[in-house]
Amino acid sequence: MAPVLVLWLAMCLGATWAVDRGNFKTCDQSAFCKRQRALKPGDSPYRALLETMELTNTRLTLQLINDNNKVRLLLELYRLQGNITRVKINELKPLKPRYEVPDVLIRDPPTEPLSVLSQDESGVVLSLGAESQRVIVSVRPFRLDIMEGHDVLMSLNSRGLLAFEHLRMRKDTRADPEAEKKEEADSADQAEATKEEEEKAEEGMWEETFKSHSDSKPNGPSSISLDFSFPGVEHVYGIPEHADDLKLKTTDNGDPYRLFNLDVFQYELYNPMALYGAVPVMLAHNAQRTTGIFWLNAAETWVDISSNTAGKTVFGKMLDYVQGSSEIPQTDVRWISESGIIDVFIMLGPTPKHVFSQYASLTGTQSFPPLASLGYHQCRWNYNDQEDVRSVDAGFDEYDIPYDFIWLDIEHTDGKRYFTWDPHKFATPKEMLQGLLDKKRKMVAIVDPHIKIDSNYKIHNEIRSRGFYVKNKDGGDYEGWCWPGNAGYPDFTRADMRAWWASMFAYDQYEGSMENLYTWNDMNEPSVFNGPEVTMHKDAVHGDWENRDVHNIYGLYVQMATAEGLVQRSGGVERPFVLTRAFFAGSQRYGAVWTGDNAAEWDHLKISIPMCLSLGLVGISFCGADVGGFFKSPTPELLVRWYQTGAYQPFFRAHAHLDTPRREPWLFGPENTALIREAIRQRYTFLPYWYQQFYHAYRTGEPVMRPLWVEYTQDPATFAVDDEFLIGQNLLVHPVTEEGARGVTAYLPGKEEVWFDIHTFQKHNGAQNLYIPVTMSSIPVFQRGGSIIPRKMRVRRSSSCMEHDPYTLYAALNARGVAEGELYMDDGHTFNYEKKEFIHRRLSFSNNVLSSVNLVPDSHFTTNSWIERIVLIGSSKPAKVTLKTADGIESQLEFDFDASMSVVTVRKPGMNAGADWTVTLE
Amino acid sequence: NKMLSSEMWIHILAIALFCCGSADSRKVRGISSSYKRFYREKKSFLCIDGSKLIPFEQVNDDYCDCADGSDEPGTSACPHGRFYCTNLGFRPHYIPSSRVNDGICDCCDASDEYNSHARCQNTCWNLGQRERAYVEGQMRTLDEGLRLKQQLIEEGVLLWREKQAQLRELQQVAEDLQIKLEEHRRKKREADRFKEQTLRALKGGDGGKSFHLKNKTLGGILICLFCNPYSISLDEVKAEVVPVHDEERHLGDDEAMVLTTTESAKTNRTLTCVLAHLLNTNKKFTVQGIKKVSFCWVLICDLQKKLAIDYGTDWEFLFLNGQCYKLKVYEYMYTLCPFNHITQKSTAGTEVSLGLWGMWAEPAKNRYNQMIYENGEPCWQGGSRSTTVTLTCGTETALRSVKEPSKCQYIMDFQTPVACQPVLKQRGVHSEL
Repeated sequence: MAPVLVLWLAMCLGATWAVDRGNFKTCDQSAFCKRQRALKPGDSPYRALLETMELTNTRLTLQLINDNNKVRLLLELYRLQGNITRVKINELKPLKPRYEVPDVLIRDPPTEPLSVLSQDESGVVLSLGAESQRVIVSVRPFRLDIMEGHDVLMSLNSRGLLAFEHLRMRKDTRADPEAEKKEEADSADQAEATKEEEEKAEEGMWEETFKSHSDSKPNGPSSISLDFSFPGVEHVYGIPEHADDLKLKTTDNGDPYRLFNLDVFQYELYNPMALYGAVPVMLAHNAQRTTGIFWLNAAETWVDISSNTAGKTVFGKMLDYVQGSSEIPQTDVRWISESGIIDVFIMLGPTPKHVFSQYASLTGTQSFPPLASLGYHQCRWNYNDQEDVRSVDAGFDEYDIPYDFIWLDIEHTDGKRYFTWDPHKFATPKEMLQGLLDKKRKMVAIVDPHIKIDSNYKIHNEIRSRGFYVKNKDGGDYEGWCWPGNAGYPDFTRADMRAWWASMFAYDQYEGSMENLYTWNDMNEPSVFNGPEVTMHKDAVHGDWENRDVHNIYGLYVQMATAEGLVQRSGGVERPFVLTRAFFAGSQRYGAVWTGDNAAEWDHLKISIPMCLSLGLVGISFCGADVGGFFKSPTPELLVRWYQTGAYQPFFRAHAHLDTPRREPWLFGPENTALIREAIRQRYTFLPYWYQQFYHAYRTGEPVMRPLWVEYTQDPATFAVDDEFLIGQNLLVHPVTEEGARGVTAYLPGKEEVWFDIHTFQKHNGAQNLYIPVTMSSIPVFQRGGSIIPRKMRVRRSSSCMEHDPYTLYAALNARGVAEGELYMDDGHTFNYEKKEFIHRRLSFSNNVLSSVNLVPDSHFTTNSWIERIVLIGSSKPAKVTLKTADGIESQLEFDFDASMSVVTVRKPGMNAGADWTVTLE
Repeated sequence: NKMLSSEMWIHILAIALFCCGSADSRKVRGISSSYKRFYREKKSFLCIDGSKLIPFEQVNDDYCDCADGSDEPGTSACPHGRFYCTNLGFRPHYIPSSRVNDGICDCCDASDEYNSHARCQNTCWNLGQRERAYVEGQMRTLDEGLRLKQQLIEEGVLLWREKQAQLRELQQVAEDLQIKLEEHRRKKREADRFKEQTLRALKGGDGGKSFHLKNKTLGGILICLFCNPYSISLDEVKAEVVPVHDEERHLGDDEAMVLTTTESAKTNRTLTCVLAHLLNTNKKFTVQGIKKVSFCWVLICDLQKKLAIDYGTDWEFLFLNGQCYKLKVYEYMYTLCPFNHITQKSTAGTEVSLGLWGMWAEPAKNRYNQMIYENGEPCWQGGSRSTTVTLTCGTETALRSVKEPSKCQYIMDFQTPVACQPVLKQRGVHSEL
């Protein structure tokens, strides 16, 4: 109990500063969650009607009946290519259509044939393709069990928590006698249903009030729920966004994890409260298998997690083990959503990488970002005027610190009218942008989705006249308070609205914009200062649907339309860069996300790791946290440590609140300036590796920043690690996130592995906890033995300035003297990579020969870059080193040997980075 | 220290051509003449830090051999190297090696982009021209500024003396009055004695005329300016004064306030003296009398406060006290009243204090180039507004710019001849090869 008490105390103390929890609903305050959670596990009232079963080549359909109210549901079951099973459940005859989330799946997922293996009155056994996988449909009570061999991988409704609130007419105020008649004349089933159903009109079904806000609920109760069980699983992950540990906790003694996009002011850590984004994807992992659930629903969603081993102490578990009386560990989860249908994709792995690829086949992969966006971003709310921008830009040159993007927050606009510039402070934006362009640098300006209601504002007038605003429940334009005061919210769920929005980014529409100006979408949950829970009223109307149905996907649409605008303005040539705060499943296709308004506190630095790891697991690789912390002012030590951490996280941006003192890297004395400079420079030397990782993420859906267990799937010691992480497979980072740290203990995974300190080349064995003494300049990073990492060691003032620079190859040999890696390059900013205009090579070292071979022979791209140095880490001393180029010419290369660390440095081999070659050690 | 004559320029150019013609241009790329001795063509090259001996061919071969970067002065190969821009016609300087061939023109002679796509023009002559014009302008400004400063110093000295004289005069008056007051007291005592005697003798006769201090009171009060320490609150002031005047009328809050306007303990102390003296010397003192007294006292106090500020080694900043300077930036009007306060007034009309005179930023070093104003209007997130005023040399005294880099922290650029320093005199355009 002690740790719980400490946690509780910490939370109470934290509350003096942090979020006003009262502004946000608990499950108890959310009527549908309360209703659903009141339902306890037990026998399900649902029964499968086998006589209604239809099996076509691509799907099985089957009706389910609720024996309590006789309402029928339609179950659809699909086998999808790539080891995915899709289960859809909707009302057989809903009163009106229920929302099915569009635009998230990248296509209609291709199916595979299903076949019946056996059938009797108690159920059906279906084969799930070639592997020995089967799904068992049990009739009474209805449940689904997915098996492989003798193992149950996952069960649905095994706890009887399938609950489907069917749409109904309101009884107490049934004003329309026509409708009544019509309903009476309805099918026999339906009549039966309405009669049988002695439904209690519970509070909150037809109307709900939270604080001063009332939700009219014209459609009445419509929530859905389903439970999933994972036998043999003790670790589940995902369902971002929460400021919590990587490994999800059980929720028996508190609220479920909530998925509902919200602008949370000064969010608290280590709790299941909803934040800015929602990705309803959960991964379940044990040493044998990884599986995933994708719950495609955009309404407010709560996820309950329980486990039969969670309460047990290590001793208890050991006792179980010794006594052999252990029940199989099992994790049970339950999903509850306010509206829509049950549409769930069961990704059966079996490895984490299979799950990533399965999820990517549904929702797409991370967009391939422009290379420059992987550099360092300097942001602040706000750089005051053009002179301010110029002097900060000059500061980076003066202190010789590289950066690629400088950012402008809301104050750059003319009175918070997006797409405009303050006429005094930013009178000549093109001049400013040209100044940055001259130094090969770029800018991001904010464009939020709330539009100032002002008849002199072109954007507002156009949206209003085209009827593009979200409507309120009474049919008028929905209005809410945000930065500009009274604002309208464009209906981004409409394709025509998005097309219009995209057209506003054309150079002739967005005055003062240039090709080096990119975009940031903030407040797109959407944030409504005077709305319930600081967001839009759920009964606001988006075409045929309520905000209730579409809420969590609104932010995705904003970023989608914006990214499309940036693509279109260049005629489809240039890659966009758009940062978003709100997100949903599929947001990875449109750009980067950040973890919102964090604070300058050590715990916020720590939490940035699990928050970005969780996002990576569900496809969103381009993640970062505000370096330094948004609210409050960091101590120099915290700021330095944050730069050191951020330099090894995917999206690397410093940001600060308007009310905080300046904190550009050079404002904390020469020592801290040097430390920050060094951290940023390390980032730039690794840009070729980052870029290759992002190309890989774009191709495969694998996360760039990943938890250790993704690579070391069988090592339970890695399963809950979230104070360190991997970048790709080859870099392990354990940033210092403790104040006054003298050392950190890093877990180096892999029995077979060796790890090399990237700074000293010192070798460490895998599968050990390694204590690393640290100073202020330490960033503990290790390269995996067996890998080759290309770097560019000539750090210049921006990534574009380094385009033609030569590479240094760092080959760290494993115990068998082997290493492998990849080298990827292209123009860095266009879509020409889609036309194979790139160089992608495999680098491998074995039998004392390092070679570079083309991975994609029909690719075509040329580079001036060459190989300036090869560093062989963990190598013995060769007698000579010989280069053989593609034309067969051999030449001797000079080299150095450092005996203390066993490092061979080959001097200036000089071959073109795009060519075939071998380097032989003899 | 005047500008180089055109003949000299031609001379320098000739030397430059000669040098470049005679040396291996690849090897000398990126070094200054003072470093040439390290790069004399030999078989080998010793890194300047002495750490390594390498074949001379490896100097500027686009691979970093020396830890100190000294083998690659002309390429971008070394992470901490530097490249020397000769910039003939302008100012030579070093740039980080990372700016060599990065596609951005850094040296005005274009020498840093000898192998890049950037098409750099040699702009040194133009820059030099502009720089020379600028420097000439600066020097004219400086000369003029120093001349004006000298005037202001002289005026400042006069002003200082004047003020000191005023103070001395007042002190003299005080002393004089002290003596007179003693005389009055003596006379009063005699008169009282006489009165008593007379009363006793005449029993209820006409009595002595009441003693009238009027203007003469000032003397006694001023003496107290320098008398024993004591402190008193507003209430005490009223309590002590009121009984004295109860027959006439109560001392209003305003009047008591006049007496306690000044914040410092010193003030209260002197004030108390005044009152104590009043109470001791004359029971018929009038409210008008107190007002006059306190007004006189405020003048003196003010003068003393003014004279307590550090106005520079030659009192050159003294003339700024009492002046105010305005500047409009976007929607705000800023007013700087040196040694007093700074305000910001929005077009809507609300005025906000950005700070009261605090101190010189580096008083200990006798450097008078930055003023700090603090304790302005409180900020929303805590703390209060403050302003740092940087003084720069110019021929006019004016507020040049105002910025708010962080919330509630303002910086101002204030130009004045008295900020001109002879050491600032530019060295002119260099022409080192």
